[in-house]
Amino acid sequence: MFDITTLAQFLVTGLAMGSVYALVALSFALLYKAVGILNFAVGESVMVPAFIVVILLSVLRLPFLPAYLIIIGVMVFFGAVFHRTVYHPLRGRPFISVLVSTIGASLFLRNTSLLVFGADPRVSPALFQVQSVNFFGVFVPPQYLLIITTLIILVVFQYWLFEKTLLGKKMQATAQDRDMARLLGIPVDTIILITFIYAAILGGIAGILLAPIFYVTSDMGFMFALKAFASSIAGGLGSIPGAIVGGLFIGVVELFCAAYISATYRDVFAFIILIAVLLLRPQGFFGEKVSEKV
Amino acid sequence: MSFKKGLPVKIPFYLAVAIVLAALPMLIRSNYWVGTLNLAIIYSIAVLGLNIILGLTGQLNIAQAAFWGIGAYTAALLNTRLGWPFWATFLVAPPTAAAFGVILGFPTLKLSGRYLAMATIGFGIIINLILNNWKEFTGGVDGIPGITSPVLGPFRFSTNGSFYYLALACLILAALTQVKIKNSRMGRAFQAIKDNELAAELSGVDTFKYRVVAFALCSAYGGMAGQLFAHRTKYVSAETFFIDMSILFICMLMIGGAGSVAGSIVGACLLTFIPEWLRFLQGPWAMAIFGLAIVVIMIFMPTGLAGLAKSVGSKMAVRLRPESQKEPAELPREASH
Amino acid sequence: MTAGTQENAILEIHRLTKQFGGLVALDNVDLFLQTGEIRALIGPNGSGKTTVLNLVSGVYTPTRGSVFFKGRSVVNKRPHLLVKEGMKRTFQSARLFRDLTVLENVMVGLHGQTKGGLLGTVLSLPGIKKEEGMICDRAVKTLQFVGLHAQAKMLAKNLPYGQQRLLEIARALISNPSLLLLDEPAAGMNPSETSDLVTLLDRIRGRGTTVLLVEHDMNLVMEISDFVTVLNFGRKIAEGSPAEIQNNEEVIEAYLGKKARYA
Repeated sequence: MFDITTLAQFLVTGLAMGSVYALVALSFALLYKAVGILNFAVGESVMVPAFIVVILLSVLRLPFLPAYLIIIGVMVFFGAVFHRTVYHPLRGRPFISVLVSTIGASLFLRNTSLLVFGADPRVSPALFQVQSVNFFGVFVPPQYLLIITTLIILVVFQYWLFEKTLLGKKMQATAQDRDMARLLGIPVDTIILITFIYAAILGGIAGILLAPIFYVTSDMGFMFALKAFASSIAGGLGSIPGAIVGGLFIGVVELFCAAYISATYRDVFAFIILIAVLLLRPQGFFGEKVSEKV
Repeated sequence: MSFKKGLPVKIPFYLAVAIVLAALPMLIRSNYWVGTLNLAIIYSIAVLGLNIILGLTGQLNIAQAAFWGIGAYTAALLNTRLGWPFWATFLVAPPTAAAFGVILGFPTLKLSGRYLAMATIGFGIIINLILNNWKEFTGGVDGIPGITSPVLGPFRFSTNGSFYYLALACLILAALTQVKIKNSRMGRAFQAIKDNELAAELSGVDTFKYRVVAFALCSAYGGMAGQLFAHRTKYVSAETFFIDMSILFICMLMIGGAGSVAGSIVGACLLTFIPEWLRFLQGPWAMAIFGLAIVVIMIFMPTGLAGLAKSVGSKMAVRLRPESQKEPAELPREASH
Repeated sequence: MTAGTQENAILEIHRLTKQFGGLVALDNVDLFLQTGEIRALIGPNGSGKTTVLNLVSGVYTPTRGSVFFKGRSVVNKRPHLLVKEGMKRTFQSARLFRDLTVLENVMVGLHGQTKGGLLGTVLSLPGIKKEEGMICDRAVKTLQFVGLHAQAKMLAKNLPYGQQRLLEIARALISNPSLLLLDEPAAGMNPSETSDLVTLLDRIRGRGTTVLLVEHDMNLVMEISDFVTVLNFGRKIAEGSPAEIQNNEEVIEAYLGKKARYA
């Protein structure tokens, strides 16, 4: 049970799940960093594209690539609508108002999807024909490798975006000091809209990656949201690398605990980590203690 | 300020309300609807608790259903395993839930709003998972059946109609207590913390103590509601106590009006009855609409129905009696609902 | 009377230093306040004035140095305990309880000096009613003292800015503090409001309250202060009577960067 192959398999599986958590946490952390909101509906931004994957691939039988592109397009729309309806009218208000509003949006999306798609769990066709692939001596489902690879590509892309492009610098400036950004001529509202869209796209990618290996249900987003919170907090609430590290951390720890301690309580471990971090080191791995200006 | 204050018919008004309330089960013939009414009353008590921590003190608690669950299970276990009667579980369940409220409230003191909300979610989930999985103690998914009906002296409250009076009494007790708290030094401290915690601390309010007390009160109310629920349905299982219920409570509070005692009750009743009245609005339909309603309310009516009533009421009061807007010689203490 | 003698000082600040990571906000500042004086604390932006108030009122903990209020150290005490001992402060951006009425805002100011708790409230004990009546009366009187009596039933968020600052002061005054820390009370006030503020401060001094006043409005400072302490880059660079400070070259240079004089 503790041999190297099994451990390696667990590790890869944990990293794969962790990568998904990282993606969702990233979406969540971006919105927190950019506009200071906690988006309770982040899980729905994974659930909705997952359902659409199922519809496009299983029902309409579209080929993979066009289907994925359509979904990205849908998520652009989703992000824009979400921004306009749930965030934009509330942008001056205390953060609890926005949080409650996202709770309402999450409730709405979950139940609407239940009404539209029904209660039966759906399956999406697998992307790969083979069941497992020999990766350095360990047999893992290729989808896991795809997920981990996608995360790596995305991290690199995002680094390039934020550090090397003008748009990315504008996004950073807006996140750090909105008034200053405005004074510098940055179209702050547009940048915020773009941030919402980008966050939605991240959710879309997570949904696309998950659909072949998970049963798609209308309340699947919920657990992901909670684990995204836990990942973000563990990594440090304002921190982008923190979200990624936090997600991977929780994915791996959760898997090992489920394997060696208790599979029944599998979901609990993420929350134990959450509470432990909150009590012992609320700023997480990478977060900075931000003191309030008095 | 309630526009009711200006009306000359205060006492007869309350008397009429009391008579209607007392006769309600007779007026509503159907046993089913009285049962729903009981449920609405019990929910109201839970939402009143949430009002203290969220409406008054401004701390987001997404775990109220967990305290409801703790209250319900405490009552169920004491009743079925040890044979304790209703009045005994009534005295023990709320303090037990309150103890858990302190367990949640105390370590989270140093956390600001965002982190606190997440901590409550985590707490609620852990409690729910424990209740669901600890078979020996809680019966796991099967729950605990066979809870007895309340018996107080010669009175047996085993029908919906009779239980109504018991629940109503508890609700009145809970509501009046909260009105008193809201208009007291403690209530002002809570609201000060909500509006500006630092300034509250620097005005002499021990913000740590009051935040913990607010949590304890909230969870005590939740526990009381759970205990009533257990004795009403005579069966508890953890399915009911999942986070969706905590969110439902928040919906009820927000729609009714956070901060308002009447609003908490109205919100709870509305969101219990509407899905029942409009049959096709059950389940996901109702929840989807509630979700949409929350977004709309946060945007257009953040003070909920109670806030709407207040502003309509004060506008009407101005129009009805323009003469009496002179400043009174002495400033009376305002009792707000 | 000379400024800054240590004997019988109600507030003693010894070698007070505050560092935030690499940033030194305050560097070895000494300050002694005599009972009943009005001391202005001035200096260019970023000189550490508000930091002093935050350290004295317990919001921050000093990196080094000590602060004694009425002979007792304030370090590591939670701010509400210091309020109980007789210290009150206001803030640079008026921190009011926006959804409470003006009257209720002031009533909160007496929280540290009153006792009414959960049990008494729920049981409507007579002691509680009496205390509530006392709090209400005191609040009304305090509002009259600052001139906000007419607005008592308004919600705090509906007050115009200048009156919001006054409300903050009322909330601080209701408990009859021995030491009042004011953070730029005149900010955003027009000349007429500022002149009323001068009168108010004079009456506050008349009640025996010691005032430590952080201000930018030089006219106010010159008119009302007994003594002035000047900070620059976290260090004390001058201390003395308003007239002495006005003519102090180092102070002028700190503010204006070159040799010039106040009008």
